[in-house]
Amino acid sequence: MPIVELSHIDKSFGPVKAVEDVSFSLEKGELFGLLGPNGAGKTTSLRVMLDIFKPDAGSVSVLGGAMTESKKDRIGYMPEERGLYQDIPLERCLAYLGALKGMRPVDVKRRAETYLERFDLAAYKNKKVKELSKGMQQKAQVIATLLHQPELLIVDEPFSGLDPVNTQMVKDLLVEQHEQGVTIILCSHQMHQVEELCQRIVLIDHGKVMLYGGLDDIRRQFSGNAVLVRTPAELPGLPGVERIEPVNGAVKLHLLQGTDPQSILQSLVARHLPVEQFEVAMPTLDEIFIRVVQGPPQGQDTSQERIA
Amino acid sequence: MSKLWLVALHEYHRHVFTRRFVFGLLSVPLVIILLVGLFFLIISMENNTTPIGYVDHSGLLSDPLPAPTPTAPDRPVPMIPFANESDARAALNAGRIQAYYVLPTDYRTSGSLRVVHIDQLKSSASQQFYAFLGANLLKRQDPAVAARLVKGADITVQSADGSRSFSSSDWFSFVFPVIAGIGFIIAMFTAGGYLMQAVVEEKENRTMEVIITSVSSDQFMAGKIVGDTCVGLTQIAAWLLLIIVPILVGRSSVPFLQTFRLSSQTLAVLACTMLPSFVLVAALMAAIGATVTEAREGQQMTGLISLPIWIPYMLIGLLMSSPNSSLSLALSLIPLTAPVAMLVRDSLTILPAWQIALSTAIQILCVLAAIWLAGRAFRLGMLRYGKRLSWRELFARPVSHRKKLVE
Repeated sequence: MPIVELSHIDKSFGPVKAVEDVSFSLEKGELFGLLGPNGAGKTTSLRVMLDIFKPDAGSVSVLGGAMTESKKDRIGYMPEERGLYQDIPLERCLAYLGALKGMRPVDVKRRAETYLERFDLAAYKNKKVKELSKGMQQKAQVIATLLHQPELLIVDEPFSGLDPVNTQMVKDLLVEQHEQGVTIILCSHQMHQVEELCQRIVLIDHGKVMLYGGLDDIRRQFSGNAVLVRTPAELPGLPGVERIEPVNGAVKLHLLQGTDPQSILQSLVARHLPVEQFEVAMPTLDEIFIRVVQGPPQGQDTSQERIA
Repeated sequence: MSKLWLVALHEYHRHVFTRRFVFGLLSVPLVIILLVGLFFLIISMENNTTPIGYVDHSGLLSDPLPAPTPTAPDRPVPMIPFANESDARAALNAGRIQAYYVLPTDYRTSGSLRVVHIDQLKSSASQQFYAFLGANLLKRQDPAVAARLVKGADITVQSADGSRSFSSSDWFSFVFPVIAGIGFIIAMFTAGGYLMQAVVEEKENRTMEVIITSVSSDQFMAGKIVGDTCVGLTQIAAWLLLIIVPILVGRSSVPFLQTFRLSSQTLAVLACTMLPSFVLVAALMAAIGATVTEAREGQQMTGLISLPIWIPYMLIGLLMSSPNSSLSLALSLIPLTAPVAMLVRDSLTILPAWQIALSTAIQILCVLAAIWLAGRAFRLGMLRYGKRLSWRELFARPVSHRKKLVE
């Protein structure tokens, strides 16, 4: 049974259709990527999921049914627009947000201290939030989101504003949460982060689902007809190769229609060329994202692509 | 603990334990003390202790009793006799006296006299001279009778049922509710202002989105209203303490405080009208906070609420002259004007119980409507960044509801 399921969601703001017929679901323990360019409808989808907005049409199921007040305590949400009380000390701010998630004061204190230590914020716990740097506030927001040990974690652009060290720290934390069985929705347009962390994704553009499914399946679908070859030798002309493109010390062989990768490998072996690497060239998520968002090459189907 | 109370407690804590609140708390009594001090300073500066002269042709003041000691802050003005008017005139021209009175031979029977001065004679000086005359007119009377006559009549007006009475020496009991009303209004708008500012800030710094995924918007708004109402009530309690303690301490030495008392009805009217108004203002301020995009815009809109509250003070003359007129009754029933109108009328007339009950009921209904409105404004406006929620949107039916009606 899916832990989150959005089914044919429509949501408009006046004449603007923010999301249209959006459907996706995720299973317990998944680390799921919600992708899309700015203004695509990602945040609206999350807000509908969290019952902040009521959908105009469609249905939402979270943690096994409609959203209730008690379920809010089992969800951790870090919105893209960070929000902490600026005029109160950090520790008090965390205590309040933890208490609103149903935590006992003693538990809030204990867990806040652990996280503050881990994020190098312990020395700043009595400082007002507004006195912290942007990066520190970002880390504080992450703590506030995780404090109550949520079952479902929804993080919207968790790496924005963080330096590489802190980005890695947050990434490690997400992996750790995932390993502990927490279901995570990672909303981002930093494709390499999503590629590194998520198993499945949904890509929304102009309020509609453009891609949905397992990351490997999607990449395979977009792989086209090319192979990546790494060899120290000079590559001779090979039958069935349309053009050769150097890629990070290797070469990408774009194959003619009807040529399959196996025949290229056989040609290489037949010529006794030392092959260090041979693989079907998969596009990066970045490339897929750009292709989907900027429009498919001529002749490609424009309807949404779903991969179960 | 319910999340409503957590929100209320947080709201109370973050406003009350601040320097701004303490400053606001102390500033009002300090301003009152400053104004009272200024009043006494002006009176004392007005006190001209240059002697007053008199030329007595009537013989009344041939062997006079001394002038009674004036009550503070007036200072005693010496009375100097002159044998004739030309000597008195010379002393006046020389500035040794500020004025002189001439008592004709028939003063005892006619009561008429003449005063000569160059600069306008201050009332405290002339009153001291009349007190001096009065004391000497009565010097053959028994001292107790004389003192009684000088003091004059102290009339107590009592209602037919005996439940209420009011005397001329009891003026502070009338003034107190009017002052208390002002205190309530200030506290009301301070607390409402905190609430509005908090809602706008939570929108501005994006805390709202985190909060509403933890607590329902209704609980959040109700908690805020409860918390900020308590902030205002704390302010009032502190002010009352700062007023009542000096009253109790100074009671023995300040005459008008000795007669001060508050009837149970006045207290009931205060509670029945001011408390719902408090919540009403808080809810309306919260609604404004939820619809606007920045605090300054909200402050401009608070005039829509504050103006009706002050209207009874603007019409206080009408309320005092005709406390039972239709206008007075209307002001007592209209939300926002009701608290002050009821308080002023309560000091002047017997308010029928049905009027208190009706006014309270109307206010409570308005409070419920305002809380609903605030909750709706909050739900619709909480995530509107940089765009104000229009009144049309606020009262429009939700899409899902419209769809259901069509189906």
